[in-house]
Amino acid sequence: MREVAIIGAGIHPFGRFDETYIEIGQYAARAALNDAGISWRDVQAAVVSEQYLPSTTGPRILKPFGATGIPIMDMESACASGGSTLRQAMLAIQSGDIDVAMVLGVEKMPRGFMNPLMIYSEWQAYMGMSTNPSYWAMRARRHMHEYGTTEEQIAKVAYKNHKNSVHNPNSMYRKAFTMEEIMGSKMVCDPIHLMEICAPNEGAACLIICAKEVAHKYSSNTPITIAACVHTLAAYSADFRCPIDSLSAKANNPGPTEVTSKKAYEKAGIGPEDVDCFEVQDTDAFCELEIYEQLGLCPFGEAGRLIDEGVTEITGSKPVNMSGGLISKGEPVGASHLGQLYELVQQLRGNCGPRQVEGAKVALGQVLGASGNCAVTILKK
Amino acid sequence: MESKKRVAVGEGLLTGPLEQFEEVRLVGTRCHDCGEVMFGTYHSCANCASEEVEQIPLSREGTLWSYTIINHCPPEPYKGPKNPFIPFGEGLVEVPEGVRVVSILDCPLEEIKIGMKLELEPYVLYENEAGEEVVAWKFKAK
Repeated sequence: MREVAIIGAGIHPFGRFDETYIEIGQYAARAALNDAGISWRDVQAAVVSEQYLPSTTGPRILKPFGATGIPIMDMESACASGGSTLRQAMLAIQSGDIDVAMVLGVEKMPRGFMNPLMIYSEWQAYMGMSTNPSYWAMRARRHMHEYGTTEEQIAKVAYKNHKNSVHNPNSMYRKAFTMEEIMGSKMVCDPIHLMEICAPNEGAACLIICAKEVAHKYSSNTPITIAACVHTLAAYSADFRCPIDSLSAKANNPGPTEVTSKKAYEKAGIGPEDVDCFEVQDTDAFCELEIYEQLGLCPFGEAGRLIDEGVTEITGSKPVNMSGGLISKGEPVGASHLGQLYELVQQLRGNCGPRQVEGAKVALGQVLGASGNCAVTILKK
Repeated sequence: MESKKRVAVGEGLLTGPLEQFEEVRLVGTRCHDCGEVMFGTYHSCANCASEEVEQIPLSREGTLWSYTIINHCPPEPYKGPKNPFIPFGEGLVEVPEGVRVVSILDCPLEEIKIGMKLELEPYVLYENEAGEEVVAWKFKAK
């Protein structure tokens, strides 16, 4: 199959803005086109991901660039939307149907609690078992019970990510906090504190991807190879983050990130030891710990030790969430994974200044969300 | 005075006469092929896709597998007490049939711990617009 590479990347910062989703999306799309040095006329298909926006969001954003007649598709896979979207665009290139595609993720989410009926059953919402952090918290509590993981270790993830965000101009929050501030922040759902969870928000990220063999005809940028882009749904009862209502006590299936990353490593012909930096789904601080284990950065039950030893700091041997993570950037669902990949492209290009991972050549992005939607993308310089 | 009509908070979740809480049970679905038991009513197995499934009542007793404390009022359409909101425990309760069911926990927050023995406690969550009492469930310490 033809190799696919990224030749352009653009972003609209994540946060809260007065602009419409159309303006936010156009900003990132235009930035990606400019970065690649190509014109909208060169784009042969576009796939657009969003979860909380109207029908035909993609065409509404992109058709004003010029009615070139190309297919513009909208896709949604919860928090993994960017992954399923990228994969669809890659398949069109790999099949030989087209050479150049745009992949755009955009979101403008309502403020406050997300409408629980978007993902929960009515009865769960009536009974009050409809707040996402409560499911993350139950997962954390069980890990603490089984492995001795501590509230302090969970807080250390938030400490690291907030600290990293200071250097990321595209992050919603760019402020370092002390451990005392994090552990003293409001207890949202025991044991998860306010400063340990991410906020839904707005933003957009865009990639221009191209058949690698012809990339030089379109762009003078060094192409970044997409070594793998895998999207899966969690196996039966393998994930109870949310919005599930029960969990098997008998089934013992591997978690979605474990399954998806294994497939991605295999496709890329590498293992976790070959990856120089990671951007992962720290919807809550505990989640990042669990992901260390599922990505194979440490054995199961040892994620607490990994954060204690500083392995996942920017200066550590396995840097995770150099951007500040979702905890700092916020999570504009449709744009989230492509935002991770934007950061990883900058890391591989060596553009990241104080948050740069020295000599990064291989990078991995991971997202996980409702219904066990999981995506893992591996990029190679 | 005639008592009010009672309805379950969701379809296929509760079985037994809603007028007699001590006889109400949660519903499970058992797969004859793989043996999995799921919470609620399914017409095929969510694990192995077999259509050889049957509904069974789940045990009223279970143990707490994990939990959290809900400290802030859940969003609409939450039907529990709001003014004032009363923080409550939410947990996954493991019943002997081999499934963990999400539930509100009816016990003092400081007494909640993993492994505690619990017992099903149906209750009236709210009265709907038709004047019916809507029945949900909690688990209380045994």
